[in-house]
Amino acid sequence: MKLKELLNNNTKLQAVTLTLYIIVSSAALYFSQKSVTAFLLVLASILLLYLTKFNNKVKWGIGLLVLVVILPFTASQGVAYESYMEVATFVGIYVAMAIGLNIVVGMAGLLDLGFVAFFAIGSYTYAIFATAQANNFLPDIFPLSGSWFWLFLIIGTLFAAIAGILLGIPVLRVKGDYLAIVTLGFGEIIRIVFNNLDKPINFTNGAMGIASIAPPSIFGFEFVQSSQFYFIVLGILLFVIFAVKRLEFSKIGRSWKAVRENEIAAQAMGIHLVRTKLMAFAVGASFSGAMGVVFAAKQTFIDPTSFTLLESITILVMVLLGGMGSVPGVILGAAVMTILNLQVLTEVTNWLGQLNMQGVISIPDALSPAKMQRMIFGLILVLFAIYRPQGLIPAKNPVFDEEKLKADDLNQNEEKVITAQQSVIDA
Amino acid sequence: MNVLEVSNLTKKFGGLVAVNGVDLNVKKGSITAVIGPNGAGKTTFFNMITGVYTPDGGSIKSNGKDITGSKPHEVTKNGIARTFQNIRLFGNITVLENVLVGMHTHLKGDLVGTLLGLPYIHKEELKAEQEAYRLLKYVGLETLLNEDATNLSYGAQRRLEIARALATKPTILLLDEPAAGMNPRETVELTDLIKKMREELNLTIVLIEHDMKLVMGISEHIVVLDHGEKIAEGKPSDIRSNTKVIEAYLGKSAVGH
Amino acid sequence: MIEHIISTLPQVLIDGLALGAVYAIIALGYTMVYGILELINFAHGEIFMTGAFIGTALFITLSGLGFLAVMPALLALLLVLIVTSILTGFLGVGIERVAYRPLRKAPKLITLISAIGVSFLLQDLVRFITELKKGNYILTGPSLFTEQISIKASSILSSFADAQIKSSTIILVVTAIVMMIGLDYFVNRTKWGMAMRAVAQDRDTASLMSINVNKVISLTFFLGSALGGATGVLFAVQYGTIDPYIGFILGLKAFTAAVLGGIGNIRGAMVGGLVLGLIEMFAAANLSVITSNVFTAEYKDVFAFIILIIVLIYKPEGIFGKAVAEKV
Repeated sequence: MKLKELLNNNTKLQAVTLTLYIIVSSAALYFSQKSVTAFLLVLASILLLYLTKFNNKVKWGIGLLVLVVILPFTASQGVAYESYMEVATFVGIYVAMAIGLNIVVGMAGLLDLGFVAFFAIGSYTYAIFATAQANNFLPDIFPLSGSWFWLFLIIGTLFAAIAGILLGIPVLRVKGDYLAIVTLGFGEIIRIVFNNLDKPINFTNGAMGIASIAPPSIFGFEFVQSSQFYFIVLGILLFVIFAVKRLEFSKIGRSWKAVRENEIAAQAMGIHLVRTKLMAFAVGASFSGAMGVVFAAKQTFIDPTSFTLLESITILVMVLLGGMGSVPGVILGAAVMTILNLQVLTEVTNWLGQLNMQGVISIPDALSPAKMQRMIFGLILVLFAIYRPQGLIPAKNPVFDEEKLKADDLNQNEEKVITAQQSVIDA
Repeated sequence: MNVLEVSNLTKKFGGLVAVNGVDLNVKKGSITAVIGPNGAGKTTFFNMITGVYTPDGGSIKSNGKDITGSKPHEVTKNGIARTFQNIRLFGNITVLENVLVGMHTHLKGDLVGTLLGLPYIHKEELKAEQEAYRLLKYVGLETLLNEDATNLSYGAQRRLEIARALATKPTILLLDEPAAGMNPRETVELTDLIKKMREELNLTIVLIEHDMKLVMGISEHIVVLDHGEKIAEGKPSDIRSNTKVIEAYLGKSAVGH
Repeated sequence: MIEHIISTLPQVLIDGLALGAVYAIIALGYTMVYGILELINFAHGEIFMTGAFIGTALFITLSGLGFLAVMPALLALLLVLIVTSILTGFLGVGIERVAYRPLRKAPKLITLISAIGVSFLLQDLVRFITELKKGNYILTGPSLFTEQISIKASSILSSFADAQIKSSTIILVVTAIVMMIGLDYFVNRTKWGMAMRAVAQDRDTASLMSINVNKVISLTFFLGSALGGATGVLFAVQYGTIDPYIGFILGLKAFTAAVLGGIGNIRGAMVGGLVLGLIEMFAAANLSVITSNVFTAEYKDVFAFIILIIVLIYKPEGIFGKAVAEKV
């Protein structure tokens, strides 16, 4: 208890602890390349960093140092490098999507169960034009080269945002709890459509999927490895976090929260309900669309099975687990769930498999943790809904500087309370 | 000069006529009370003026503009603000943020400017925060600015609703049972606040209230609704002695004894 | 094109009726719960699915013990239906207790999320148990009521093609009708039914009238889930093969049926189910012909969802519901 208090208030001690932690964990990763634990520990330093009381610029600086230099370098010394960076890349992709869904669900309070549709739109946008697929309905100039990827990042983002608006215009008239089921339906529609849009004109190649998607390139350098995609994802993710931070405490973010808290009162305050919700849909969708483009380029193959309801629910679990409306929470939630899905469940499954082989214990195949995703998701959803609906890191409201406001107020004492009082009449 | 002119306003719910052909003219700078027994159609009347319900007949003009059938956010932009009978605050954001939301119609806050963090966005936010702080001070909640709205006491929540409504910079303020659930001391404070707002902010105030002491104490004009119809209107002294009104409140047998 | 539509019409009607009956009874479960709690019980489709698995497991057990060979098939079905509906009924009650009741005062969003959680949990539990017992989660029950009866539709109108009806279809439709009439009688004519309607109208007032609201809610879940489970059994008998994921989309479409008929409206849900079943079968049979192969039968689900979206936007009160203004 004492130690906790001590750590809480002493930034110097925090700095020492954090430095030690980063050194030890990255050394562990550097020297013991097969240790997943060490890799996860290095990643966890970001959480530790978040908990410190440093000022924001310092936090960002250290965070970038860890993510850009320390993590890639220490992980790069052995054979597991690419698989580590693959996990890290997917963490980034899912974090961006979870931040997007968080805008819709956490901030605006709209339960969207078809969120993966926007990811799919981003993916297919790039996949169709970065393969010969587009020749089926456009002049024969495709596939585009990988240098178009950067433009398509923007196009995919825009397409997803437009899809969000187009979906939103009819759907957002629907009363609150029906929205969940309508968006769920929409997610399925998109998947079915992509699955069948190989006829009459072959747009998506149907269930066969689209293969050999051109990898991104810039000045002749091609991105093919996970360790290279990692930096693209990191770049986009930084942009997404900056954007959402700006929005959260702006007029736009407050409008979202007002709509979430009380639609009728929000309208009475002059907030245009549909426009505000559409904005949430569009911004949330755009993040997902951008990552869709990256996903298609990284996998070089996509088919409709990557965009099922399970994916939408996965992202919802990330948001609920981390904390609805809380950006740091959602980042944590997405990281935990992605690592659980990609790393922990497979590791545990392999480990149990080994034990099985050695005859230590006998676990039936049905119990294999890799297959238990739905059960784990279900449990998290129910338990968190009941016991901790605010999530691991609850959302925080901005704290206004009372002293400053008070002082400013005294300075302007002569002014009338509402100076623009007459403006409405005059106008 | 009339700032609010309502004529022949009608609303039906299925077979039930909730408000039936009600007229109301509100003079600039006046305090008008709408009273009547429960279920008389008072809140429905307010809801039509503020655009929550679309009227089935009649017209509403505010500040010379026809706002019949306008959406709630359009009505607000035309200078009408309101509070709610069953308090509707934004519970999980702070007190100051609640007032800031009220200011939104006067903020630019566009997407591009916000994303790029342009200086004018920052400037208008700071200005809005100061204004919101002053409004909170006006209703006496400035020390609670960083509390979540849901944690406030009942009386404080009602005052916050008023501050939030003022933030939209209205010319007409509609108060739906502002004293409901308040203790006598809080009611007196509220009465003073209403008078003060009218004087200092050039507001026209229309209120629904059951507390007759408050109503008789501050209103210049009273309208009585019963079963959706206007049964009387006039000065407090006229209303007090109106037999129809007494009948409506106490039943036929109360009259003439 | 017209010839094709007309000639397949008798078969479309029969298949649509069977599917519609399934939708209708599941829709009842959604509509009852929504009427009383204003909650979309996402887990209801999974209760239906669980019912299908319990029923199939019971049939397999009965046939393993040799009972199925000596017992009249109808009696076995009746037995399985009763046992399954009691089990799924209690399952529904348990779900409400554990996952919904603690959240009755929480925001709707949270309760919906809990409902989705339950839904996923049930899918995987059933998957897990089946896989553990059978080594595979796709289950095929013993074939029952497979006699084909040919309907000479061509003798009514020469452009009709003859249609086939399985005896299981007749059982499905008849049982569905019996269940629907039974429920309608229960809700409209009995004391408990009246209590249910009272709670649906106004929970607080009902509790002042000394109605035990929790009991009524449990009863609602029991009835809805029992009917859903029984439908699962009938579904398994009719279509043979089941997997743990049949419930979600089917439930979604049943919910569409409930919305179509006016949510909270029991008779509406029945009609909505039948309409949706018929539309879907019609689309499955004719979509590719009508659109000259642009849209294949796989788009039938898309049409179900589009119907849902259109109804929710333009007539959210459904075909039989009355518009209600929200109290401010």
